[in-house]
Amino acid sequence: MIKVENLTKSFGKLDVLNGISTSVERGEVVAIIGPSGSGKSTFLRCLNLLEVPTGGTIVVDGAELTDPKTDITRIRQRIGMVFQHFHLFPHLTVMDNLIFAPTRVKGMDKSAARAKGLSLLERVGLADKADVYPSKLSGGQKQRVAIARCLMMDPDVILFDEPTSALDPEMVKEVLAVIRGLAHSGLTMLIVTHEMKFAREAADTIYFLDAGRLLERSSPEQFFANPQTERARRFLEQVL
Amino acid sequence: MTLKHDSIRRALTALACLLVLAGCLVVPGASVPPTANAAAKTITMGTSPDYPPYENVDAAAGGKIVGLDIDIAQAIADKLGYELKIAPSDFDGLIAALQSKRVDFVMSGMSVTEERKKSVDFSDTYYVASNTIVSRQDSGLNTLEDLAGKKVGVQLGSTQEKVVSEIENPTVLKLNKIPDLIQALKANRVDAVIVEDAVAAGYAQSNNDLNIAMIPAGDSGEGYAIAFPKGSELSAPFNEALQEMKNDGSLRQMIDKWFGTKSTVGSKVGGGWLHFDRIGSYMGYLLRGIYVTLLFTLVSAAFGFVWGGILSLFKLSKVAVLRGFSTVYTSVFRGTPLLLQLALIYYAIPQLTGYNIPALLAAGLAFGLNSAAYLSETIRGGIMAVDKGQREAALSLGIPYRTMMFSIIMPQAVKNILPALVNECVALVKESSLVSVIGVADLMRRANVVQANTFLAFEPLLVVGAIYYVLVLALTSVARLLERRMRRSD
Repeated sequence: MIKVENLTKSFGKLDVLNGISTSVERGEVVAIIGPSGSGKSTFLRCLNLLEVPTGGTIVVDGAELTDPKTDITRIRQRIGMVFQHFHLFPHLTVMDNLIFAPTRVKGMDKSAARAKGLSLLERVGLADKADVYPSKLSGGQKQRVAIARCLMMDPDVILFDEPTSALDPEMVKEVLAVIRGLAHSGLTMLIVTHEMKFAREAADTIYFLDAGRLLERSSPEQFFANPQTERARRFLEQVL
Repeated sequence: MTLKHDSIRRALTALACLLVLAGCLVVPGASVPPTANAAAKTITMGTSPDYPPYENVDAAAGGKIVGLDIDIAQAIADKLGYELKIAPSDFDGLIAALQSKRVDFVMSGMSVTEERKKSVDFSDTYYVASNTIVSRQDSGLNTLEDLAGKKVGVQLGSTQEKVVSEIENPTVLKLNKIPDLIQALKANRVDAVIVEDAVAAGYAQSNNDLNIAMIPAGDSGEGYAIAFPKGSELSAPFNEALQEMKNDGSLRQMIDKWFGTKSTVGSKVGGGWLHFDRIGSYMGYLLRGIYVTLLFTLVSAAFGFVWGGILSLFKLSKVAVLRGFSTVYTSVFRGTPLLLQLALIYYAIPQLTGYNIPALLAAGLAFGLNSAAYLSETIRGGIMAVDKGQREAALSLGIPYRTMMFSIIMPQAVKNILPALVNECVALVKESSLVSVIGVADLMRRANVVQANTFLAFEPLLVVGAIYYVLVLALTSVARLLERRMRRSD
């Protein structure tokens, strides 16, 4: 599904990613963990070209993202992204947030989009919030709407960039429950997270990044029980 | 009168020419196409209709141009079998209009001077005006001798300037417009004003606190005549017709008709110092100016907003050429006076492209271009104030750049800058009064017309000031409603 080879990214003199190579299978759920500043978010943001890589290649479903001939807008329609700070469109109601991209970009019929929006809102437990503006929602509700907005486009891949980091503790649970519900539904998901318990339970694979390198790539059982590198061991000691 | 004009207008014209095409003649302000075509039996007369009783816009009767000059021209045209067309224009542009043959002849209270004779041919004179001293009723200033050492007002660039030189040791105040001179007189800023007799009679009739005294005609009796392009074949038949009218007394009748009784002004009024009652019949004319002013504001605001939006996108663009362009654009349009831009566009476009741009369009263009320079900075600020996560969220949904900009970013940016936009609109409503300079019949221009027609200096300005104020109030309350509507998502 996703094949990354020797991905590098520098901001000026600062090398954030130092040659990451990996591949993600269709339907695989990957949790990306690591100390802050390790390049987790940058790696994720490279996968839909919100950050343009300095070097290396990224192939998503056969399309080479870094090739100038690639229509990145079209590919982004199949790669959803959920942000730490939600980024709902504040001037649109919840329902309009949901149907904007499907109707305006994919040419989906408005009433069909609304029906779909409503069923997705039900799925995230917010069917009664269709006509309110985002400013009236709590953080957890906003993030659930953001996930529903993302699902409206029927993506093959969803990138979660610290989806619970900006939430009050009691709201983390409701959001994680929604994400957990999406796992193993055939969606390919990459989740940057600090929630170790969630990573262990929900992910198929754990990526451990440090200093822009992919130090470990293993199953949750193996990673949490028996990390291979000294760096990962120290990290786990600090967070667990 | 000899030269009646805004010196501003003249200066701008000169400047425009200097900057655009050095050495070329001024483009006339007329917005009427050239028609010098005797075969079609129409004949076009250039005139500057702001000088009653010679020619003025009859504001109370639907904006028709009337006056002594018009009657004489009509009579001559009838005699010679032409159909008369009138091309209104600024006084400054009349000579140039003759030279470029946009008009066949000019009658506009134009006196014969040696300087003008170099550029145009004149007919015999049809009227010789004498100069008159206007003073406050109780001042007893009746002769040039009385004015020794006094403060005297005259119109800038007029033949009356010469008369002042016969006064002993005067302090001279020169203003552009006669209503302004009269106001200065009433406000005690000058002791007397020297104007020509017909004008003086008009003011005396409308202002019972004013006294007039004729100055005996000296040897320099310059008369008014019809001007033709150099070598025009019309001057001979016109002179014949004029002579006939002098002989049969019809010219005298016309002069009596226009100078004997003041048709535009009511009977002499009593005390009090504000006479709003006398502009009552002009209210319709003044109020129609609201439409012009609003239309103009709307066109320039809409154009300024759209173009300013595009410029702001240029400024945020990755393309260096676009960034450079909009930066230079803003710098130039913010760095030069709006009045100058207006004159350049109005005078330069016909000269460069041959398209005789209508005044309202030129004004809308100038104000829009200028406003865009300011708005582009405001909008850029508004766009930059929108959280960059909005952009990332839109991009990650696969929304194309343009859709994102117009449907996601712009609405939020506009909401941020709404108060600044309202400010800009309010400024435009008021700045729109500048367009009166190029002859657009907006509120301000109409106030000037009513001033000229009623011989009241002050009242039309007050009325128009009140109208502007109400317009701005209405605009701000509409803006407040809009703002409330946009705040519903908060």
